[in-house]
Amino acid sequence: MPTLTIDNRRIEVPEGTKVIEAAEALGIMIPRFCYHRALGSVGACRVCAVKIVDGTRKGVQMSCMLDVEEGMVVSTDDPEAVAMRRHVIEWLMLHHPHDCPVCDEGGHCLLQDMTVSGGHGLRRYLGNKRTHLDQYLGPRIQHEMNRCIQCYRCVRYYREFSGYRDLGVTGIGNRVYFGREREGTLENPFSGNLIDICPTGVFTDKPARYFGRRWDLQRGPSVCIHCSLGCSVTVGARYREVARVEARYAKAVNGHFICDRGRWGFPYTNEASRPRAARVDGEATTVGEACAAARNRLLHVAETAGSEAVACLGSERAGLETLKAVAGICRANGWADPLFWLERRARENVAAAVSLLGDDLVLSLRELEAADCVLVFGADPLGEAPMAALALRQARRQGAPVFVFDPRPVELPLDFHHVPLAIEDLPECIRSLVGAAGDRETARGADPTVRSFTDQLAEPSVPPPPEAVAALRTSRRPAVVCGTDVTDAAAIGLAADFAALMKAQGRRAGLFYLMPGANGFGAALAGTEAASLEELLPRIEGGEIRALVAVEADPLGLYPDRGRIEAAMRKLDLLVVLDYLDTDSAAAADVFLPSTTVFETGGTWINQEGRIQIVRGAHRGGIPVSQTGGGGHPPRVFMEEVPGGQAAASGQTLTRLSPAEVKGASEWVRLPPDTDKQSGTRAVLPDPSALRFAPERTALSGAAGDEAMLTVIAVDRTFGTEVLSSRSPWLSAEETAPTVWMHPEEAGRVPLSDGDLLEIDAGGGSLVLPVKIVENMARRTLVIPRHRDAAWQRLGATRLRIERDCIRKAQPVGENAPVKESPPR
Amino acid sequence: MLPADLREKLERTIETADHPRELAVDVMMALQEHYGHLSDEAVAEAAQLLDMSEVEIDELATFYTFIYREPVGRYVIHVCDSLICWMDGYEKLRDHLARKLNIAMGGTTDDGLFTLLPVCCVGYCDRSPAMLVNRRVHGNLTPEKVDAILDGLRESARSADETSSG
Amino acid sequence: MMSATPKKEYPQVLLANRHPDRIATLEEYRSSGGYRALADTLGAGPQDSLKETIAAAVLLGRGGAAFPAGVKLKTVADDAPFPRFLICNADEMEPGTFKDRVLIHADPHQLIEGMALTAYMASAEKGIIFIRPEYESAARILEREVGIAREAGYLGENILDSGFSFDIDVHRSGGRYICGEVTAQINALMGKRPNPAQPPPYPTEKGLWGLPTVVNNVETLCCVPHILRNGADWFQSLALTESGAGTKLYGVSGRVNRPGCFELPIGIPLSEIIEDYAGGMRDGRRFKACLPGGASTGFLPVEHYHIAMDFDSLKSVGNRLGTAAIMVFDETDCLVAATWNLLEFFARESCGWCTPCREGFPYLRDLLWRIENGQGEPEMIGALRELCRDMSYAYCAFSPGGIAPVESLLDLYEEEIVAHIEGKGCPFRKRS
Ligand SMILES: Cc1cc2nc3c(=O)[nH]c(=O)nc-3n(C[C@H](O)[C@H](O)[C@H](O)COP(=O)(O)O)c2cc1C
Ligand code: SF4
Ligand code: SF4
Ligand code: SF4
Ligand code: FES
Ligand code: FES
Repeated sequence: MPTLTIDNRRIEVPEGTKVIEAAEALGIMIPRFCYHRALGSVGACRVCAVKIVDGTRKGVQMSCMLDVEEGMVVSTDDPEAVAMRRHVIEWLMLHHPHDCPVCDEGGHCLLQDMTVSGGHGLRRYLGNKRTHLDQYLGPRIQHEMNRCIQCYRCVRYYREFSGYRDLGVTGIGNRVYFGREREGTLENPFSGNLIDICPTGVFTDKPARYFGRRWDLQRGPSVCIHCSLGCSVTVGARYREVARVEARYAKAVNGHFICDRGRWGFPYTNEASRPRAARVDGEATTVGEACAAARNRLLHVAETAGSEAVACLGSERAGLETLKAVAGICRANGWADPLFWLERRARENVAAAVSLLGDDLVLSLRELEAADCVLVFGADPLGEAPMAALALRQARRQGAPVFVFDPRPVELPLDFHHVPLAIEDLPECIRSLVGAAGDRETARGADPTVRSFTDQLAEPSVPPPPEAVAALRTSRRPAVVCGTDVTDAAAIGLAADFAALMKAQGRRAGLFYLMPGANGFGAALAGTEAASLEELLPRIEGGEIRALVAVEADPLGLYPDRGRIEAAMRKLDLLVVLDYLDTDSAAAADVFLPSTTVFETGGTWINQEGRIQIVRGAHRGGIPVSQTGGGGHPPRVFMEEVPGGQAAASGQTLTRLSPAEVKGASEWVRLPPDTDKQSGTRAVLPDPSALRFAPERTALSGAAGDEAMLTVIAVDRTFGTEVLSSRSPWLSAEETAPTVWMHPEEAGRVPLSDGDLLEIDAGGGSLVLPVKIVENMARRTLVIPRHRDAAWQRLGATRLRIERDCIRKAQPVGENAPVKESPPR
Repeated sequence: MLPADLREKLERTIETADHPRELAVDVMMALQEHYGHLSDEAVAEAAQLLDMSEVEIDELATFYTFIYREPVGRYVIHVCDSLICWMDGYEKLRDHLARKLNIAMGGTTDDGLFTLLPVCCVGYCDRSPAMLVNRRVHGNLTPEKVDAILDGLRESARSADETSSG
Repeated sequence: MMSATPKKEYPQVLLANRHPDRIATLEEYRSSGGYRALADTLGAGPQDSLKETIAAAVLLGRGGAAFPAGVKLKTVADDAPFPRFLICNADEMEPGTFKDRVLIHADPHQLIEGMALTAYMASAEKGIIFIRPEYESAARILEREVGIAREAGYLGENILDSGFSFDIDVHRSGGRYICGEVTAQINALMGKRPNPAQPPPYPTEKGLWGLPTVVNNVETLCCVPHILRNGADWFQSLALTESGAGTKLYGVSGRVNRPGCFELPIGIPLSEIIEDYAGGMRDGRRFKACLPGGASTGFLPVEHYHIAMDFDSLKSVGNRLGTAAIMVFDETDCLVAATWNLLEFFARESCGWCTPCREGFPYLRDLLWRIENGQGEPEMIGALRELCRDMSYAYCAFSPGGIAPVESLLDLYEEEIVAHIEGKGCPFRKRS
């Protein structure tokens, strides 16, 4: 490790460190425009000039391009270096429009900072300014090319880092232009990072435009809750309105970036339709009154039908405090076991994943990037956890081959091998790969279950793909990624065995599960004895359960059998709903209590790798000023209380309405003592030993081969299916149209051509959707997005087997005709 | 639309290449030859042929001097304005051409025959002043010589049109 | 300043087969000893000793950077991966330079043999001639003659039964000066934007498609067969100065009576080239200065009229031999205006990658335009100097090359600039 001297201070840094990074480690921030930690050094802007006083190459040098050397002596404040840096700023300002007052970057603009700190105040250049026209790049990103300083960060990020191809640099000399071939929405679901990465105001957050300078915003660190990865974000709010979300650097999770779902998924918190007031029997009232009403009615049900007649349902989108309060209220009152899941398969899958994700196997998103071979089982990363797709791309860029075993038409911004197998064949496929990866000898050091399992690896019925076998053979750092959405516990268990086996072989193997919701992991931990609504439903239908408290959960809107759940809800004497969304369940509630969002009261979420992340609220909330302003006239009524400020965290409200005393919600979450509350995140894996769920490893081999049967799966997509972000008006244009995907062979058997309507008679009724025929998916499989307009709740389950004669071509008329346009929100 | 034989020819060449994009300039030149300039349609064709995005093609197209993204005349006259030609009467030559063709630098004649553009040293400084017509060099230029060249070009355009229409 | 001695005869090596109006045929090249080096060396001895010969000959790259060709060949590691590439740089876009055009039109097989031999030394199996689009006629000649050479067994599979295979493609550029820079050229050949890429890694380690790639100028490659045939000592003896080696193609243009390309020894006095070969100064005017090696070299003032034209002598006076494209000015020429014209070139051709070059050249051009056109201010001289100083910290050699004439203008002709500023315009224009 070379030791060098920078501005008379010595530092020892690893070989290969750039001078600019060594200086940063000393707290010396050398100016930079083109250099970016995630994108590396390219030496384009020349603003990082320093003077090398001693070293192989002396004189003024670019600190981002120069590797440190033993004994090197660097001066950052040498007059020649300072003059050079000032000159670069002057050059970059030659064509700059000086429009800081109307530029949304103003206040957090690197160019502004450098211009001011570099002391460039007077224009010397007498020539004209070059002027560009801007492009329309869609509803989310504003383009102002004249502010560009040609650092090339945007194209490097867009093309190399994230792997999309519709942004480029055209022209030459001082006429280079960064944009698209023609106007239109950027195709990259990670395009929002352009806003963060552009050091000046070329790409700015369009919905947040002109809303406020950065210093005007109430800003706070937060965590994205639009999928299970839990990327770090910074929230900015003003006038009781969340205005924007930016990526926040998190070393182990998302690095510097987030996905567009995470960046623009927040409008649910500002919605005019957000229920702000408590309601009893449809009448607005105070939270206190409503709590009292709920408490009395719950007490009444318990007294008349027994305490077991009350059930409480949470969901994987709620914070840990809420989930623990759900568990706590059930225990304190002797109610039925707490519910956190709608479907049994979801409950079992996540329980399996959580109990198998050992400390020694778990990979962080960042570690996934370092894998040298990645096997993805039953997961569509872009749809279920978008940033995982970006991590896979980084692994691929380092040379790792990526194999995806999934029935869906999976798309990724990288070249990968897709094996579109039937979902039922997945366990057998994993089994075959385990067999190819090693034998009992190599499994010696592994878990006993793995060992005994390895013994059974006789002859897999599905031969493993030879490329994957070859890649596995030489891999030192293999990673197994496994979904829990469309898969089953057998596949989830086998994926863990596979990783454990490779670990036992002495490799640095790792395991990475994707989970439903932002807090699926937390839900699994909170409800060790919990059941799912699906398992409880017969007791509602049978009249045993008479009251349901739904906490940040929407059984009516999300249970996969709409008809059945509606009937069941009608049977209840009492439905109490706590939520911040105007869900179907909220509308049907006898007692409704408004709760707060993550932006207001924060909470604790556990991501899919078991990382506890504590979030604090960024603002107090309430009805946005833009909605209370009363139109064109100034306010005529002044009051002390915050309009819409009655909402409270669900966990708190639960303790208020509980007939029996529930301990404070905060006590339900025991954090490890060394949790870093300041940064809000800490890598710990809560001990999942309380939850020992041993999935059956037997494979359902041959099931998929049944020609008379079809498998239907309702799936998550990048946009339009996740509960919160699908309410964002800025993402709606990117939603996947509600269609059913089919393999051409399957379509040919009906027969159907692209765009034809298909009628599916499933467990929950019949639904009609246009067909999209795609080659790169499994046969005997129908894939439907869980889009609000897809009527997927008529399927009866999110994964089911149907007889082939349950599908037929439909005519484009009648009440089942699909709704093409989503209703305006 | 690209004629089938040209498309086939290009596809065949691309097939033999280890990396299709190494042929980007050749393909753009071939399409330009066909369309007269590298039109948006040609950019789309090139992108499709080379499995590149349109902007990836345009990144190259807008970099190079001899790829025209705007319509140009049948004969593109590039007048050398670098040092030696400039010392040897570039400005007079340019003005003469502009007057004769009744267009300014960058313009195209109404009949679509000629476009006038500057160019950097074309490597014929021993025969300055020099210009290119459709990448063919003419050196040691005088007003008389330029007139003769223009006349010759008009003549060959006329006879080519006659043979193609007749 | 006419030289008194009569015109000397110097050996013609590279242009031995030059005809005024046609190329040398394969037969002509062969009968002048062509392809003998290829026949003698291929498969005969170890490649290392051939590389030694090139190194001993001190063949300095003729593309402008004067990097020793032998050293470059040796940087291709023995265990470097395959396939390896040889690129012949025939981009020749340095203003004033036209020697490679002359070479290709004179004797294309000399280049083909030079490439085959160099490829053999580097164990390269694919050769590419990267040629500027203005040289369409040269590109066609090369395509045709490469075919002829292939037919004759000098290229293709198993050349002359030696077991060595090598073939050549001709690649036409879309036309940009920066494409002549090695790393930009490699990017161009890969269908990427031709921005340079700062080493490491060096192209000989990771070049085209990430594989070892040797890039040489046309003239450098043309020297190779002669060196291998006649030896390093012979090549050294061709030069007139101790440190020089070989002959050089000097392209003379500007205010001389007979502009042209002349093959003369390295180290020949500048005055001799101008007077004995380029026909002396035009219209009886006096030599004022020249750019000795293309637009990227500084003005060489009249004091150095008799300088020996070799790499070391020019270096010793703070200049460079560059491409040996000698652009001559007489006493009526305004060097401020000439420099402005060069800046127009550099501003237009800057690739746009780095700030100093992309923004600096238009800035310099603007200042010189103002000075030339009566809008000059005294503080502009300081601004010019500062610009030059900081533009030397650009990403690639384009910018340091482009400021060379400006720096020399400031160093040697400051009073000419001052005269413009004080006289509110160009003194040369007023006089004429
Ligand atoms: C801006 C720029 C343009 C160049 N143009 C050419 C060129 O047109 N032809 C050439 O041979 N070398 C050119 N060079 C030099 C090459 O980078 C390289 O040094 C040379 O091709 C190597 O061959 P050599 O060692 O045989 O000279 C250029 C360099 C720069 C920086
Ligand atoms: S648009 Fe922004 S990121 Fe892109 S080059 Fe310009 S300043 Fe840099
Ligand atoms: S990947 Fe998931 S957690 Fe990360 S920003 Fe996107 S939706 Fe949010
Ligand atoms: S100096 Fe910079 S801008 Fe100029 S050609 Fe080189 S890389 Fe491009
Ligand atoms: S930050 Fe080093 S050159 Fe831009
Ligand atoms: S300057 Fe015109 S050809 Fe060289």
